[in-house]
Amino acid sequence: MAQSALDIAETRHGPICVLSLSGRIDSSNASTLSTSLAALFEAGEKAVVVDFASIAYLTSAAFRALLVASAQAEKNGARMVLCGIVGQVRELFEMGGLLKAFNIHASRDDACTQLG
Amino acid sequence: MHSGGDQLTNSSETRTVQLTIHNELSEIEQIRDAVDRLGGELNVPTRSLIQLQVALDEIVSNVIRHAWPSGGAHQFRVRVTLGPKAAEVEVIDDGKSFDPRHAPPPPDLPAGEELPAGGRGLAMLSQLVDSIGYARVDGCNRTTLKKNW
Repeated sequence: MAQSALDIAETRHGPICVLSLSGRIDSSNASTLSTSLAALFEAGEKAVVVDFASIAYLTSAAFRALLVASAQAEKNGARMVLCGIVGQVRELFEMGGLLKAFNIHASRDDACTQLG
Repeated sequence: MHSGGDQLTNSSETRTVQLTIHNELSEIEQIRDAVDRLGGELNVPTRSLIQLQVALDEIVSNVIRHAWPSGGAHQFRVRVTLGPKAAEVEVIDDGKSFDPRHAPPPPDLPAGEELPAGGRGLAMLSQLVDSIGYARVDGCNRTTLKKNW
C-alpha cells in the first residue's frame, strides 16, 4: 500500500499555481489540503491546478475540502481545476457523485492550457 | 497518539485487530496503518484494500463527527478481521442512535452548481462494501460491514 502521509508540493507555471498531491487523503489529514488551498486563495492566486496523479486513494473528507475550496475560489474570482483523476481515484469521485462537480482535465498540461 | 486496547489475533488464514480509539480524527491513522499491515500479510488485492480503507474512514469518521453532539472525550471500539476472501468490520459506540443504512444517495450535479460540502461519505459506503448491518444493543450502536474480494 502507498505511503500513509499526504504530501503537497507547490510549483508555478507562470500565473498558474500547481499543487501536486501524493499519498492518500482521508479524515486524518484532509485538513492539510483545506489549509493549503485556503492559503492560496487568500494570497490572491487566481488559477490553481490540483494534480491527483500520485494519490492512491481519497475519502469523502477530501471531497469536502475540495468543495469548500471551490466555493472559496468562486467567491475570490479564482479558478480551480483538477487533473490526474484516474483509476481508483476516478472510481471514488464517481462513487461520490462528483465527476461533474469540478472542472477535471486529463493531464496537467491540459489543465494549465485551460487556465492559461 | 495511541489510545491503547490494540489487540491482534492471528491464525493461518485470518488476522484480527481490535482497537479502542478516542473521538478524534487523528486516531483514524491507527486503523489505517493496522489494516495496511494485515492486508499486506494476507496479500489482499490492492483495489479491495483501498475500498476497505475508504469504507473504514467513512464509518469511523462519521462516529467521531456525529455520535456525540454535545462533545467531550469518548472512546469506541473498532474490530477488523481480514480473511482470505473477505473482511469483516465491527464498530461499537455509545453515541446517539444512528443507522448508517438509511443514508441518501449522493447528488450528482453539473459543474457550476454549488454542492453541499458534507453528507457524501455514508452514501459512498454502500458502494464500497457488500453489506452493512446495524443494531442498537444495550445503549450502543453496533455497526458491521462485510466486504468480499
